[in-house]
Amino acid sequence: MADRIIRHSDLMKLVDEVARKRRIIGPVARSVPECEPPVRYFYEDVERADQLDLSFRYCVYSPKRFLTPPSETLFAFDQDDGGFVAAPQYDRRPTALVGVHPCDIHAIRLYDRVFDLEHRDEHYFARRGATMIIGMDCPGPCTDGVFCKDMGANVAEAGFDAMLYPLGTDTDGDEMRYAVMFGTKAGREWLLYSRQSAAPNADDERAFEKYQADKEAAFSFALRTRREDLAELLGRSYDSLLWDATARRCYSCGSCNLSCPTCYCFDITDETDLASGSGRRWREWDGCHLPEFALVAGDHNFRPKAASRLRHRIYRKAVWIQERSGVVGCVGCARCDRACTAKINSVEIYNQLAEEA
Amino acid sequence: MMKPKIAIFSLTGCEGCSLAILELEDQLLDILQVVEIVNFREGMTERGWDIDIGFVDGAISTPEDKREVEELRKHSRVLVAIGACACLGGINTLKNHQPASEYRAYVYGDKAEWFPTMDAQPISAVVKVDYELPGCPMVKEEFLRFVKCMLTERPFRATANAVCVECKKKGVLCLYEKGIICLGPVTRGGCDAICPAYGSKCEGCRGVVSDEALAAAGVNLREQYDVPLDRVLADMRFHGAYQEKSLP
Ligand code: SF4
Ligand code: SF4
Ligand code: SF4
Ligand code: SF4
Repeated sequence: MADRIIRHSDLMKLVDEVARKRRIIGPVARSVPECEPPVRYFYEDVERADQLDLSFRYCVYSPKRFLTPPSETLFAFDQDDGGFVAAPQYDRRPTALVGVHPCDIHAIRLYDRVFDLEHRDEHYFARRGATMIIGMDCPGPCTDGVFCKDMGANVAEAGFDAMLYPLGTDTDGDEMRYAVMFGTKAGREWLLYSRQSAAPNADDERAFEKYQADKEAAFSFALRTRREDLAELLGRSYDSLLWDATARRCYSCGSCNLSCPTCYCFDITDETDLASGSGRRWREWDGCHLPEFALVAGDHNFRPKAASRLRHRIYRKAVWIQERSGVVGCVGCARCDRACTAKINSVEIYNQLAEEA
Repeated sequence: MMKPKIAIFSLTGCEGCSLAILELEDQLLDILQVVEIVNFREGMTERGWDIDIGFVDGAISTPEDKREVEELRKHSRVLVAIGACACLGGINTLKNHQPASEYRAYVYGDKAEWFPTMDAQPISAVVKVDYELPGCPMVKEEFLRFVKCMLTERPFRATANAVCVECKKKGVLCLYEKGIICLGPVTRGGCDAICPAYGSKCEGCRGVVSDEALAAAGVNLREQYDVPLDRVLADMRFHGAYQEKSLP
């Protein structure tokens, strides 16, 4: 059962209404003539709804940069008569992420969990608390190579304020119609009381059921191993020759980590100003494939070789993050695989291990 | 605290890296409050030889460069190579792949024997170098970070990451998606991926990031891509990042 039905033009009006109070971030098309198709989509700040392209298939990078920026100041410090003073910096700009696919919604749910484990990350939650999420469901795989169905992430039941399901174009026109599900009270209030959306009628309900049946048929599994069995598979694969054989291609460039919507590691640096006793503490994205990620005091590196770093990433994604947080650590978006200029492919890794075992 | 005495020298190169220091306009006055510049051809006429930190741009390309850098080493407690020429040999090394008689003839004409020259080398080939701030040109922000580390007696570490890290942080579309072989994955980062951010491939001006990455390039470019290896080697040679005739 859908909560509401809305047409594309009405949705655009509603997004414009949101834009009066919030910064809007959503998929924007950039023309790239050298690519096939000659366009790529990126989450970007926009001022108006018509700058968004909600017909996008996938965005090259996930929206994580808007919740955990590539670098951010945690606090600025200074010295005055009273001694050392530190002023934390929080970003609480009201924001709406529009057009977030189920995989990325699962990834944000993971962030919500891990940034609250042991020590609550106030910088993350300042942004997150000010962010509204309007999801966009995927009627089929957004591109080749994704394995979101395997990871149970091609469908999202929570983690959004409202979720849009593109039912297809109208019978009496060429305008897209969306079914809407509410995830939160805020999402409900956004839509329910506006004249732009309607309660679904019997035809709409049938269309929504058909949408879901078609979607079910459109996605297939890519992994030979079920997600529940990955822990067992990797448990047997620690000493596999695959790690060395694959990692001889690895540049340790970290592109897989930094484009992964579930990677959340960061590095912290203190920096002083030139002349006075002031400065700041800031953090920036880090990643377990980078050569010095596991370097500690005394110049000891726990994972000095690319093979041990590759293995570490795969174990984290398939098993360890879930063990620690209870939320699946990989959402199968295949951004890591697309980002890898060495063409190291995680689906191939899982399937080769399954074959070996 | 005594103000550290700083000197800036140029060997064979365009001196663009020492100019980059002058381009730190906003911070230059702050820097001058905390250091004393005792020797800087681009910026002053006096010469002092009691040097705490000596910065050198330019490559060793003549016997005179070699003598000069040996002298500088004697007078500098800390010696820092700045820019691709000083750190890698830079574009000067292009001559290393041509017969000396040829390039001497087209550069100096019939006066060639008046100008002794030699294979271009990084200064670390001749003297001990304490720190390297690579790039063509050197990255001003990295220079500033280095100066701050020295002043506060904190360790300075160059990044061990490849340029790709900075591309991802900026959200740049990877050039490989356009079918372009970019040297970012094998090149030491720190430049904020300025070339890919403007749509040009990385030319490796900050040097090879690690032997491991270089070995991976050898495997990938042979097995995963259909590219003429000579072209890639020519790119890697451009700033002197890699001089060998084939990839590992
Ligand atoms: S993107 Fe590929 S080459 Fe780069 S670190 Fe990841 S696996 Fe290695
Ligand atoms: S590991 Fe790869 S497929 Fe999994 S969430 Fe990260 S980028 Fe996506
Ligand atoms: S464009 Fe070059 S530097 Fe940037 S991610 Fe791609 S390979 Fe790396
Ligand atoms: S992208 Fe490459 S060539 Fe360009 S400045 Fe950086 S290291 Fe140098």
